[in-house]
Amino acid sequence: MKIEAKDPVVEIHDLTVSYQKKPVLWNIDATLPKGALIGIIGPNGAGKSTLIKSAMGLLPLASGYMRMFDQPLDKVRDRVSYVPQRESVDWDFPTSVLDVVLMGRYAKLGLIARPRKADKEMAINCLRKVGMEAFVNRQISQLSGGQQQRVFLARALAQEADLYFMDEPFAGVDAATEAAILAIMQEMTAQGKTVIVVHHDLQSAAEFFDWIMLLNMRLVASGPIDKVFNNQLLQETYGGKLTVLAEVGELVRKRQIPSREKY
Amino acid sequence: METLKEFFSFQDPSIIAVTVGAILLSSSSAVVGTFTFLKKKALVGDAVAHSVLPGICLAFILSGTKNPIYLIIGAFVTGWLSLVIIDHISKKSKLKEDTAIALILSVFFGIGILMLTNIQHSGNAAQTGLDSFLFGKAAALVGNDLIVFGIVAVVLIATVIFFFKELKLMAFDQDYAEAIGLPVKGLELLLTSLTVLAVVTGIQAVGVVLMAAMLITPAAAARFWTNDTRVMTLLAAILGGFSGLSGAFVSYAAPAMPTGPWIVMIISAIALISFFVAPKRGIISRGMEQRKLQRMIMDENLLKELFHLGEKDHDLYKGRSIEEIIEERYFPEKTLRKSLNRLRRQGFLTKTNGDWRYTEAGKMKGQRVVKLHRLWELYLSEKMKIAPDHVHEDAETIEHIITPELEERLEKMFDRRATDPHDEQIPY
Repeated sequence: MKIEAKDPVVEIHDLTVSYQKKPVLWNIDATLPKGALIGIIGPNGAGKSTLIKSAMGLLPLASGYMRMFDQPLDKVRDRVSYVPQRESVDWDFPTSVLDVVLMGRYAKLGLIARPRKADKEMAINCLRKVGMEAFVNRQISQLSGGQQQRVFLARALAQEADLYFMDEPFAGVDAATEAAILAIMQEMTAQGKTVIVVHHDLQSAAEFFDWIMLLNMRLVASGPIDKVFNNQLLQETYGGKLTVLAEVGELVRKRQIPSREKY
Repeated sequence: METLKEFFSFQDPSIIAVTVGAILLSSSSAVVGTFTFLKKKALVGDAVAHSVLPGICLAFILSGTKNPIYLIIGAFVTGWLSLVIIDHISKKSKLKEDTAIALILSVFFGIGILMLTNIQHSGNAAQTGLDSFLFGKAAALVGNDLIVFGIVAVVLIATVIFFFKELKLMAFDQDYAEAIGLPVKGLELLLTSLTVLAVVTGIQAVGVVLMAAMLITPAAAARFWTNDTRVMTLLAAILGGFSGLSGAFVSYAAPAMPTGPWIVMIISAIALISFFVAPKRGIISRGMEQRKLQRMIMDENLLKELFHLGEKDHDLYKGRSIEEIIEERYFPEKTLRKSLNRLRRQGFLTKTNGDWRYTEAGKMKGQRVVKLHRLWELYLSEKMKIAPDHVHEDAETIEHIITPELEERLEKMFDRRATDPHDEQIPY
């Protein structure tokens, strides 16, 4: 079940991604609408994070392409922002909350240039939006999980992008943080920005998102929530029907066959 | 002592040159090493350090001179090569990175030693002093060599200052750096080149065998004292520079002594001291923190037991003897006496005729601990559905750490309920 977006911001075409030759995403085709809060939903190992990592150009593609704003990513990087998984960094790193948020300004600053006063004010503003203005000079190792997530969100906001990819922003956060993050996302989409979120809690998914991508190594469905968030498709996403696909992927890895032939 | 005075009077211009050189080289490798450390690539630094030896020997064999420019080029080539091979092995084969590092380090170093021995037996007169690359010789830093290595060191420090913000982001969150479009490949190349160059310059002072310590130890020592990358880099430079200075002195005072081991010993001593005495992160400070906590727990437990005694005979302010308290709950007598006296000094207890009694503040404090204990038991049994006979042990710890905000929430949650799961009064 695949519904095309009318005014697509992201276009995914025949995307296949492999980890050490083992395909983890097979032939994804989808278009995603502008100004929507979009959830990427699927079980563990479905390739949700892989999808947005390849969207940000962090993984080599075995086949296919992704376009954003009808352009290749490299042309529009300044309009695209990324929130990695919270656990992907060492929070004992010697730096302050403000310095982390300032990293969101680096792309606009360019190489070598130092953050200016305006960048600092912008960063503090973003911290205010996520309710962390009291933590500006705090060392990042002192933050709770929810606070870490808010800091990452503030860093993404500081990029002033139009399209946001967020990897599990709701994972392991407290209820207050969840509500705060959701409110910010809704405000962003109201301003016409597009927010794409990897999420694994089905219950809240139904409340959070306008548009859903159901993923389990392949695209099960993509469309407005009222059209695709139903029992049958969820069953298909979470059900055990894909064991053959997983087994073939394992075979490809063992034999080290490239997932696309050269000739 | 005389030597020390002589050295620091800097009468001899060559002393100044050697000193400036040693400080510059050590601090530049410490600055670059800070990022090697933050990227958790300490072992890679060690591999590079050992892998430059064959390059130096090869450069000498080919050029027949000890011209530092040739030696730097040679060292750079093999240092780089080692990194490329390590990277290739860990990405393309089934071997993990640590195996690849160990493999490359020993193979390159082995080849280097072979070549060095060969050169030494070749009878080439120009080779004298080449072996000082093994363990370093700061005193050999004179004239042309000093100028060349000094320039490289300055270039290293300047490059780190220029690209500070990029290097920091790369160390903290490389995926994000790539996602926002920073030239990650180029920056990695930059850091790798910096590391190799830092090793190449540092080996004059420290030697290849111990060079990794010069990269990593100043940063590791500095990390104990600060939570800011800028301060940490600066501090690493200062600590590295200081150990370089002492190395230069040793080299002057005892020319037969290799400089490297001395420099490394001094910087390691600094790191060790930091490990113990640094505020917050140091062992001693953490130990004191623990002790303070244990005292607080002891004091609160004592006040709590006095409250229990008061509950039994409905007289909270009655004087209690030490035996009475121990009968209620066992405390080692020495610990108990210390705690009683501490609480008296703080104004929570008074002592008359050997009996201890609450002051008003003491009663409030004891009552609060009892209340928190019982509220937590209530919370565990009602909200967490834990059997009432299992909740006491948990509450014993939790009663000491509940904040006033949580206290208020718990009180509200149970609407100031009168009794706990064991039907004991909750005192408000």
